[in-house]
Amino acid sequence: MRSRHREGSAALVIAATAIGTFGLARWAVGADHRDSAALTADPAADIADVYTFRNPSNPSNVVLAMTVSGLIPPAEASTAAFDRNILYQFRIDNDGDAVEDLVIQAFVTGNSSNQVMHFRGPVAPSMSGLVSSVDHGAETATVRVSNGADAIVATRDGMQVFAGVRDDPFFFDLAQFQAILTGQATGFRNPGVDTFAGTNVLAIVVEVPAALLGGTQLKIWGTTSRS
Amino acid sequence: MKAIQWILIAAIASPVLAGCDDTLAPFNGDAEVDRVLNATFTQTDRFGLPAIATVFIPTNQKDAYNRGQPSNDAAEYTDEVVTVLMAFGQSAASASGLAAALLPDAQPIDVTQPSGFLNGRRPQDDVITAELGLIFGASAALNDDHVDANDKPFLASFPYLAAPHLQ
Repeated sequence: MRSRHREGSAALVIAATAIGTFGLARWAVGADHRDSAALTADPAADIADVYTFRNPSNPSNVVLAMTVSGLIPPAEASTAAFDRNILYQFRIDNDGDAVEDLVIQAFVTGNSSNQVMHFRGPVAPSMSGLVSSVDHGAETATVRVSNGADAIVATRDGMQVFAGVRDDPFFFDLAQFQAILTGQATGFRNPGVDTFAGTNVLAIVVEVPAALLGGTQLKIWGTTSRS
Repeated sequence: MKAIQWILIAAIASPVLAGCDDTLAPFNGDAEVDRVLNATFTQTDRFGLPAIATVFIPTNQKDAYNRGQPSNDAAEYTDEVVTVLMAFGQSAASASGLAAALLPDAQPIDVTQPSGFLNGRRPQDDVITAELGLIFGASAALNDDHVDANDKPFLASFPYLAAPHLQ
């Protein structure tokens, strides 16, 4: 079974227990098990990471990236595919109430060897919260899903989009952390070893003019939703 | 299909046909897209600040948390965060202050300022070491995993993430 990034985070809590704070038994999940029962059975919906940053060479653009389906081995990179029944969304709050004012939506069509990712937004969602539907307006962009070394990129109306398999950008010496947890080590190695080196994820990356996000003080999160 | 969609297709069709090489024509009208447009989707997972939710939310509340909304986070989860931080040895005041900074679980970014965790999150930001420091403080054996960078360099331009490892 593939592990995922959140295990490392859950492991932090176990360490605190092992290191002798007090018995946080209800947090003490095993490091080889996912922390959520539902997502263990649904890795395609399992978000590994979300990134938000300005384009370093064009600060008027903001980049949003989401990775899912962590720990894809090289042998599976050429066949890794997004799930047709999942709506991937970046949710953007631009007025400080932690409710999304805009969303950028992405979903795939096509079979696993020839997928196309469709984008909508940034657009005000027809409904906010737990249940979502896809915006019925025009598509912002569409791009073929990349499964090789070259990134297929599409540009439309000042927005750039990418979807496909990439090196996992996350880095952490999770293996040594697990050794600490099980009492086989008392601290990290120096230098450490990146447990996620050599592994891939499925990534969705969008670059959009900040002016389209409706404000300058933003709160952004990513969601996956299943039909 | 609703009439408004046909109008939108007509409105956008011609510029798209003349568009950039890698940009595909709009798929409105495609049967698969119609299926998606007519579907409703229920939230399965969410992700704001790296790792924070998993550290502080008890296992038996994870699924509910993943389906939750950031606007409810402070009311629903402040007690959990404070409890964990105090278990790590932090004072009640310090734990409460950190909880207020960590909830709601969303990435704050001021787009008028340079990016870097916690003003947004760049791929190269060493968020795990930042979090180990938050939790383990001055313990030199535990507050840094000494993995300071990704195994592949990030790209200077879009899509920024490095090419995959291929067989």
